[in-house]
Amino acid sequence: MEKYLYITLFAPLLGSLIAALFAAQKKMLFTGIITSILIGISFLSSVILLNYIDGDTILHVKMMDWISAGNIDIPFGFVVDQVSVIMMVTVTLVSTVVHVYSIGYMEHDKSFNRFFSYLSAFVFSMLILVMSDNFAGLFIGWEGVGLCSWLLIGFWYHKHSASWAANEAFIMNRIADLGMLMGLFLIYWKVGSLQYDIVFANIVNLDVTTLTWIGVFLFIGAMGKSAQFPLHTWLADAMEGPTPVSALIHAATMVTAGVYLVIRAGEIYALIPEVGYVIASLGAFVAVFAASMALVNRDLKRIIAYSTLSQLGYMFVAAGLGAYWIALFHLMTHAFFKSLLFLGAGNVMHAMNDELDIKKMGGLYDSMKATAILMTLASIALAGIYPFAGFFSKDKILEVAFNHEAYLLWFALFIGAALTAFYSFRLVMLVFFGEKVHKKLGFHPHEVQPFVIYALTPLALLAIVAGFFEHSFHAFVTDLLKDYEFTLDHSIALILIFATSAVALSGIGFAVYKYSRGGFSESWEKKGIYKLLINQYYIPKFYELTIQKPLYNLSKFAWQKIDLKIVDATVDMIARVLYGTGDTARKIQSGNLSSMLRWMVAGVAILLVLAIFIRPMV
Amino acid sequence: MMIGLTHYLILSGILFIIGLVGVMRRKNLLMLFFSTEILLNAVNIGFVAVSKYYGDLSGQMFAFFIIAVAASEVAVGLGLLVLWYKRTGSTDLDSLQMMKG
Amino acid sequence: MNHILTLIVFFPIVAGIFAFLVHPKSVRVFGISVATIEFILSIILWLGFDANTSGIQFVEYIPLISQFGMSYYLGVDGISLFLVILSTFMTMVALIAVSIKTDIKNLVIAVLFLETTMVGVFLSLDIILFYLFWEASLVPMLYIIGAWGSERRIYAAIKFFLYTFAGSVLMLVGILYMGYLFYEATGMWSFAITDWYQMALPFGTQLWLFGAFFLAFAIKVPMFPFHTWLPYAHGQAPTIGSVILAAVLLKMGTYGFVRFSLPLFPDASIYFMIPIAIIAVIMVIYAAMVAYAQEDMKQVIAYSSISHMGIIILGTFAMNAEGITGSIFLMISHGIVSGALFMLVGVIYDRRHTKMMSQFGGLASVMPTFATIYGIMLMASVGLPLTIGFVGEFLSLMGFYRIDWVITLFAGTGIILGALYMLTLYKRSFFGEVTNEENRSLKDLNGKELSALIPLVILVVLLGVYPKPILGPIDLSVKKMIQTMDNKVVTKEAKDLIYKANSIGGGE
Repeated sequence: MEKYLYITLFAPLLGSLIAALFAAQKKMLFTGIITSILIGISFLSSVILLNYIDGDTILHVKMMDWISAGNIDIPFGFVVDQVSVIMMVTVTLVSTVVHVYSIGYMEHDKSFNRFFSYLSAFVFSMLILVMSDNFAGLFIGWEGVGLCSWLLIGFWYHKHSASWAANEAFIMNRIADLGMLMGLFLIYWKVGSLQYDIVFANIVNLDVTTLTWIGVFLFIGAMGKSAQFPLHTWLADAMEGPTPVSALIHAATMVTAGVYLVIRAGEIYALIPEVGYVIASLGAFVAVFAASMALVNRDLKRIIAYSTLSQLGYMFVAAGLGAYWIALFHLMTHAFFKSLLFLGAGNVMHAMNDELDIKKMGGLYDSMKATAILMTLASIALAGIYPFAGFFSKDKILEVAFNHEAYLLWFALFIGAALTAFYSFRLVMLVFFGEKVHKKLGFHPHEVQPFVIYALTPLALLAIVAGFFEHSFHAFVTDLLKDYEFTLDHSIALILIFATSAVALSGIGFAVYKYSRGGFSESWEKKGIYKLLINQYYIPKFYELTIQKPLYNLSKFAWQKIDLKIVDATVDMIARVLYGTGDTARKIQSGNLSSMLRWMVAGVAILLVLAIFIRPMV
Repeated sequence: MMIGLTHYLILSGILFIIGLVGVMRRKNLLMLFFSTEILLNAVNIGFVAVSKYYGDLSGQMFAFFIIAVAASEVAVGLGLLVLWYKRTGSTDLDSLQMMKG
Repeated sequence: MNHILTLIVFFPIVAGIFAFLVHPKSVRVFGISVATIEFILSIILWLGFDANTSGIQFVEYIPLISQFGMSYYLGVDGISLFLVILSTFMTMVALIAVSIKTDIKNLVIAVLFLETTMVGVFLSLDIILFYLFWEASLVPMLYIIGAWGSERRIYAAIKFFLYTFAGSVLMLVGILYMGYLFYEATGMWSFAITDWYQMALPFGTQLWLFGAFFLAFAIKVPMFPFHTWLPYAHGQAPTIGSVILAAVLLKMGTYGFVRFSLPLFPDASIYFMIPIAIIAVIMVIYAAMVAYAQEDMKQVIAYSSISHMGIIILGTFAMNAEGITGSIFLMISHGIVSGALFMLVGVIYDRRHTKMMSQFGGLASVMPTFATIYGIMLMASVGLPLTIGFVGEFLSLMGFYRIDWVITLFAGTGIILGALYMLTLYKRSFFGEVTNEENRSLKDLNGKELSALIPLVILVVLLGVYPKPILGPIDLSVKKMIQTMDNKVVTKEAKDLIYKANSIGGGE
């Protein structure tokens, strides 16, 4: 079975390297095909592993040593257990679809080969992240996906906004990574190892303060990757990257790494429920906060990005409250329907010549039926309507919140569900139905190639049916993860389900009703609330004014004023004083023998005086 | 009154001061040589006197060394002086300013 | 193998003397051959090195002035071995990449002389010999900066020379005093570091001697606020000068801390640990911010060197095997990475005769290979895992975490700021549209440049993935050194701290 582990892990790397060989050359179709096939192989072997893993058998291998110094010993070790195998299957499945999709999406791009190289490298990093058996290995993947994300967001590097967004993403993630590193250090110095099994076996011996710090540090790391408030701004900007990238990295896989970390470190968080509650609260806040920004945005991809943020908030609520398997389940179903949504958006973008403003679309249903259907399916799944996947996972999270007697959180999520339903269908209505604004603007949309649509069908299928695997999923992962005890009465649970479904349906209904009648009037755009939301609560502006600019000015100040004017000037001044003294003393050297002789006599006199009166220690 | 070590040393000191003042004040190069000779001989007197006092011959030996060195110094110095006089027509010290730094 | 160290030390200088006879046209090839042979010699040394022994190997000992205990005493252990290899390797690579045409003969000779002094510094176990090499290394560098630099080269060269020289004079006083103390204690003179290791000093004396050595090392590193010679030296030096300066010469300072300050004056080192760590943090943050403000590509890398040296200092003063091993590894990795970055700046400077970022933009589309290699080095510089830069940084910070987590947190902001200035540099120079017409026709890397850079890229990845062959011997020697320190400490606080720093668990 180890064979399959290595195949899963290294097939994407191989593909990436092959594509990298041709990175600088013009488009070669086979790079896309080879990488797709290799990712497909990776997917198949992870499915084989999925079948192999059960309650008793997990796969744990140590490939080779990495860092060992002092007492620390970090190997390249990989573990395939119930959690990581779910992640592997999800990641490789979505990646395969995205790879095939990209062959169509990127067909006219001159850096076709480079794109596939980066994309496969990303999959490799992501697999390292989920398969590693220790925190340091997780950190390799963590940084690796950050790098690939940087490369892919800035893929069209000639665009200023793209390279800016890439840098923003990388640097913001670095802020969080520092927190994570601190967590790793603390774990190491308390336990003496970074291996999951050793750490989890020893955490019970640690005091609560230490555990709290570990939990906080690790969660700071998770906040960066999963773009939780206040480190969330990069995700929306990351939409500058090619759309398949947004689907793969910024919806289905990388951004869920933070959730994965919390699930993985669940044994730590289980001992510190207070921290978990903070995580859940932040998650609930982000769920509503991000959804509210999605309500008014006009950028097709940004809306979906905010929706991703919001859904990540849901996952953190579940993970924070200890319902790890539900968080993981939502992570998986979300990966399916969200990547579908993004890839559909990519089709729309192609049809509209990379136009992103949804107000300029409208009525695209006639020209691209397949995409419209797929995106509507994904939106229904996102809104959480029975029997689609989102219903099963999202409702469970609301139930957990209610079960935890965290009614405020539950209420936030409840509002979030309504908002989600509304903005999803606002998007669908504005893009696919209603007045054909694009006609007036001179666009001639067309459907994408059939194979792209076929590539999307597995995702669509899963977005519909994945929810029905809930029980087998539950049984599978709770072999490893701590199960979550529902103490809720069955009838109350039922009421909750109805309530949530009702609110979601009414959100959809309201969106359909409103936008089939031309939407909201222009006067709304004058209102303060609209301005607040469209400007993302002025947070990017705030960061620019309070962090970015002052930091740059301070740096300039440090260089021009402190470094040059104080530190260096002091050094130069010492030199100048010495030089000046010499320059003054130089006059003594007049060349006049007579005066020199007088100086000599004076010197003799001084030496005599010194010799007579000053007796150094003998 | 016996003439003792002290008197010799006083003589040596007086001569040394005369030489020193000469070195400092005189502007003629020739006079400078004279003053230097006086200085050296002042030291010689001191050496010989102390040598006699202690009954140690090394002081007198040193005096002879100094005489020899002084002689050769004068020989070389006077040669240069003559050359300088031929070239500039003056033996004034203030005209020697070529070593200005 | 008996005299391999002598061979390694003196081969370049002897070959350098012979280089006077070589025709200027072939002297570059001559220089590369000598440097390659020297590199192979150092690899042979590594092959012969017993990685399972922590002690000093290949010892050569010839008394020179036995009345005063001065001797010709060479030896190598895990700490110095890789710094020697780094010196020979970077000299070789820098010579391969050299693009200077004027007075190439003198340049090659100067570099070969410099190589001898660098290797000598790392291999000397007699401290007088060490001091000789230490000071002698300034002369060829002075010449390299002064003769082949840009406009303000004389100012920069003299500043470099006087500043570092002034620092080391005080060290000489310290050395002599230490020798005298040894004489007083044992009745015989010795300047052999191994003898000195045996001698425990009273706490007060340690403080003074530590101070005397500190200034010399701090200026060389360079530590804040003694760093201002570095930007000038880098800014004005030719590429080869910057490469060797950043890759090797700076490491002499940190090597000095590891080799002398810590084991000779353990109590003083621990006493000054927190103040020095705070200086290191200032270096990390301050230099990173100054780097962020720069317009000149080379200055960014120069200041980034200061920032990284801060982490090295921090790791060194962590007093545990993790931190010190990490800091030595970081010396090596920083040598490779900063050397490569300076070389890359040299490449673009050769083509455009400017280093200002505002002159570039969109280079990624014109020079893709160049951009790729630059990108790899940049990622190594910001410490991405699986590149060489991560291992040392991770271990250094991890080591110091045991001492003080707040300081580590502040030092850790270096990884954020590092990403900030490096990515800004990359964005401004490589991304965007080609705006300057002169950049449109730039040629990508040629064979000569590639042959210098590809080995560096390979090393960056290889040692990032598998650092064990280097970490192992370093770790062994470092553990022995910590044992030495532990045996020598006189104060109880220091003893407790060493114990705490090297143990897992326990309350804060």
